[in-house]
Formats: sequence, structure tokens, C-alpha cells
Amino acid sequence: MSTTKDFIVEQLKEEISGFKAEVSEKSVGKVLKVSDGIALVSGLAEAMMSEILIFKTEKGEITGVALNLEESQVGAIVLGDFTVIKEGDEVVATKRILEVPVGENMIGRVVNPLGEPLDGKGKIETTKFYPVEKIAPGVITRASVKEPVQTGIKAIDAMIPIGRGQRELIIGDRQLGKTAIAVDTIINQKGQNMKCVYVAIGQKESKVANIVTKLTEAGAMDYTTIVLAGASTPASLLYIAPYAGCAMAEYFLDKGEDVLIIYDDLSKHAVSYREISLLLRRPPGREAYPGDVFYLHSRLLERACKLNKDFGGGSITALPIIETQAGDLSAYIPTNVISITDGQIFLEPDLFYKGNRPAVNAGLSVSRVGSSAQIKAMKKVAGKMRLEAAQYRELAAFAQFGSDLDPETKKKLERGQRLYEIFKQDQYQPLSVAKQVLAYYSLINGLMDDVPVERIREFENGLYKYADLNDAVLKLIEEKKELDEEVETGLKKLINDYKVTVDYLMK
Amino acid sequence: MKISVSQYASALFDLVAGKSEKEAIAVIKSFVAVLGKNHDLNKAEAISEAFNELWNKAHGELNAKLSSARELSAAIRETVTDYLKQQTGAKKIILETEINPEIIGGFVLRYGSKVLDGSLKNSLDSLKNKISN
Repeated sequence: MSTTKDFIVEQLKEEISGFKAEVSEKSVGKVLKVSDGIALVSGLAEAMMSEILIFKTEKGEITGVALNLEESQVGAIVLGDFTVIKEGDEVVATKRILEVPVGENMIGRVVNPLGEPLDGKGKIETTKFYPVEKIAPGVITRASVKEPVQTGIKAIDAMIPIGRGQRELIIGDRQLGKTAIAVDTIINQKGQNMKCVYVAIGQKESKVANIVTKLTEAGAMDYTTIVLAGASTPASLLYIAPYAGCAMAEYFLDKGEDVLIIYDDLSKHAVSYREISLLLRRPPGREAYPGDVFYLHSRLLERACKLNKDFGGGSITALPIIETQAGDLSAYIPTNVISITDGQIFLEPDLFYKGNRPAVNAGLSVSRVGSSAQIKAMKKVAGKMRLEAAQYRELAAFAQFGSDLDPETKKKLERGQRLYEIFKQDQYQPLSVAKQVLAYYSLINGLMDDVPVERIREFENGLYKYADLNDAVLKLIEEKKELDEEVETGLKKLINDYKVTVDYLMK
Repeated sequence: MKISVSQYASALFDLVAGKSEKEAIAVIKSFVAVLGKNHDLNKAEAISEAFNELWNKAHGELNAKLSSARELSAAIRETVTDYLKQQTGAKKIILETEINPEIIGGFVLRYGSKVLDGSLKNSLDSLKNKISN
């Protein structure tokens, strides 16, 4: 016992003798006004934009960030409980721009936008800090996007390929599976040499808890950081959340690694920024959003990039999510973000309720990077898929009138039905690219034409299981990434061998 | 149109500039009358503060406040005044002193929007922070 006590006393003595009180001049202002997460502070003549301010209240210190610099006062957002701040409280300028801790130890953790742990797993040991606001990498540091991000979702990997360093918007009404796509993509990054950051902005904490559980079950938390600014968090924290998440991603980018970051969702981010702007008395514009709401998102999404070899060759792939109201793509924020990103995945209620999940609309969804972000094998089988899918929907609408159809059209319809069956995929079950190639290969080569439409999925799942048992071909695809003769014969043999084992084929 | 505090202050400053004390009193009287007429008497305190600042700026004066736990000697006050002159380039320092036992020891110097906190209380607080973290 006594040794422990002596040890503690010794340690304490050492600490105290090593302690040197530093007396330095500080800029100090006074709180003039506090309202809804905003504080007006007098003085602080030398404050910088987005400098950290410390509010010294009776109940301890609270951080804030300077956002409005005026002649004799500073408008600041309060990152914390603003109700304990009183008029006349002292505010100290720290001469530091807002920054967050970054590093390897952030992986597997759930943190708030200031990098403080929320998961009860104890303190996060980090040595590095990155500024929250940073200008995106310039043009000489960048390279073109050409390596794929495998989302593991058949409809997306085939028709709307996403590359490393791309910004692909996921857009749709509420409850159509936008987050599901994002989560499946994270799960599929296992073993793909990718770090993931999921930024939840204004999401229900129950939903985020659910996502954390699913990711943990799938083993995806080994490479994922979750930045959580829940629905009950003040607008100031919601506002900095995506920038903080991006700063954490940039740490890995600077190490030359690939990072996937998901902003879920930017509509709520815009709303929180609108709240702050209105409280700071900045003039409102369209839909009451402030004038710089475009820059708000463009500067964030521009930080997604693919760097060239000389700058480490890392990448940040961004998947922002936007929630529309009743499918209205022409509202202010959706149009803004559509124009900033390199394409969008559009989810449609009609498809969703018909049971086509994920409800990706093949016609309206695009990826501006396109097939350069696909492996060769996928490029070959998916080439005309998008066109075919869009054509089928038109034909199907036309064929509803029940008139006699020529055999050509009939064939197209049959093929289209099967294609849409194949697009269907359960949640939390991403597929490897080799299996996707297998499914698409059998479809476009007519090897599924004799399988009844309603049994396509059964056939497909059986085929995957069969392929797992005889996985030589899958391995070959993953190795070669190409669809040469050897692979093709292997695929044909595998599919035909499997077809012998099923009993529901049509004659 | 509303007249702001700083506008009032600079008007008053311009009016009294170069005037004798007697003349200044007359100016102030009519200035207060104008304030009353404009229903701006509640701004009087802010105006006098702003006026003080303008005056100090023009005349190279500086208001400072020195808090300490015990009475300070003239020599220490001299050192502080010299320090302020050196820091700010002001010609004249108006030093207000205050005895505040709460700071335990050392001193706290405030001028403009700057604070130089060399109090024992501050050191103890940061020691506490360091140990508890």
C-alpha cells in the first residue's frame, strides 16, 4: 500500500516541479449577447476567422468559433452548452484555427465533430491535429480517377461505376435506402485497402447506433471512423461535422492511402448552416439559405480528390447524401449538390414500392467518371446494361396496353425483366466483383433465358453458392480482372454445370 | 435616422477639441440636450466610454487596471507603467489599481482588450487542469 502512496506522491511532486506557469498576454473580450448557440463578443480586435474562442463561464470553459468579424464585435458559434454563458463572461482568443485530432487511433471509434469519443471506450490517444477548414488540393497535385471503388451493389457497380477520388451523390426521398447504399459500400470495403469515415449529420441517434452495430457485426469497424452529430446536437456542431470528418480523412490521404467518406446528409447540413446564418443576421436568399450556401458544399466536396504519384497517390472518395422532398430535384440544395458532384445515384419511390431494391433509377443516375473506373471484365459485361435497362422501362410501360408484340420486343422484355430481377439485392449483402461479373455474364449471354423470372433470384443465389464451392473461375477473374477466353470458357462451364442441378428450368 | 454611439462620441470629440474648460462645459450641456431630444440618454454611458477611447487614442493615453492581492509598491507600479509604454507606445498611462484577495498572489493587468494574468490563482488553475487531464 505504502509504495503506491509514495509513488503517487513522488509523481505528483515531479509533475509540480516540472510545471511552469506561463504568463503571456491574452486577447480578452466580453460576451454582449447570447442567443440560440450564437454569442456576440465585444473586443477581440485581433481575432481570426474560425479561430477557437474560450468562454470562461462559472461552470467551466466552453469552446466557440469566431464566424463574423465586425468593427467592434465578433459573432461566434458556441460548440457546447450555450445556456451557461452569461452576459459579461470573459472570452479568450486562443490564436488557433479550429482543428480536430486525427490519426490511426480514430479508427473504430465513434466521435463527435470535435474528435471527442462518444462510444465510452475511453480517451483517444492522438498526437496530430488537422485544421477543420482547408483549401482543397490544387490542379497540379491531382490525377484522373481510374481505380474502382467496389460498392458491392450490383446495380451501381455495373451501371454507375464509382472511382477512387470521385464524388458521387446519393439522392432520393426519405426511407428509400440512401443510407443502406452507403452502409453496404462501407461493409464491402473490407480487404479493399480503404479507410472509411461515416459522418452522420442530424441523424437519429437510434439509427446511428443501428449502423454501428451492423458495421461491427460485419467487421467493418476495423477500418471505419464514425463522426456523429445527432439530431439533438446544436446547429454549430452539425455545421462543422462534415469538415471535421474530412480533416480526419485527409490524415490518411496525406499518408497516400485511399479513403471513402460519407456525408449523411448534406440537406440537414445546409439547414443547420441556414440556422446559424440567420441567427448571425446574414441576409437570407432563396429558400432562406444564405448567399454562400453553394460555397458551403463546393468547398467541402472539392476536398475529395485523387492525388498523383508525386503527392502520395492517395484519394478521398466522397458519397454525399441529399434527401429530397417528394422527389423534387429542382429545389435549391439538390441542384447545387448535383452540379458540384461527378454524378448521382437517384433512388425512386416507384421502383422501391415495386420491390426493386436498391431502387436505383437507371435513366436518371449517372457517373461522369464512367467506365474508366471499372475493371475490364466488368466493363465488358456491363457495357450496354444501362441502355438496356432504360429501354426496358420504356418498353414495359408501352407493353402494358397488352397489344400483340413482335418476337423481337418480346425477347427484349423478357431480358429486361430478368435484368431487373438481378438488380435486386438484399441489404447488408454486398457482392464481390467476380460474382457480379458471373451474374451479368450469364444474363447477357442468354444463359438465364430458360430460368423463370420469378425464380431468377433463387437461381442467382444458388449459382453464387455453387461458385463458392468451385471458386477457380472467381479467383481467375479477381486475378486477371479481364474476360479473356480462358475465363469465358470457365464461366460458361460453371453456369451450365450448375444448371444441371436445378429442376425448374423452362423447356 | 438613428445616430450610433460611435457617431455621437466622435461628434462630441470634434466639438470639444481645442476648447477651454468653460467652453467645453457649454458644449456638453447642449450635447446632453440633443441626447435628450433624440431619446438617446440611455446611450450616455456607452458614449462616454467610446469618447474615452477616442480621446486616449488621440492623446496617446492608455487606461489600464492592475489588480493584486496586496498593496503594491510605487516601484512595481513604475515597472508596470514602463512595460505598458513599451508594449503599446502610449505616452501616458492612467493606471488604476485594485486590491482583490481572490487572486491570492501576483497580479492581473488589463488594458484595452488584453489581459496579462500573472496571478497565483491562474497558475493554480492551470496546474489543476494539467493534473486532472
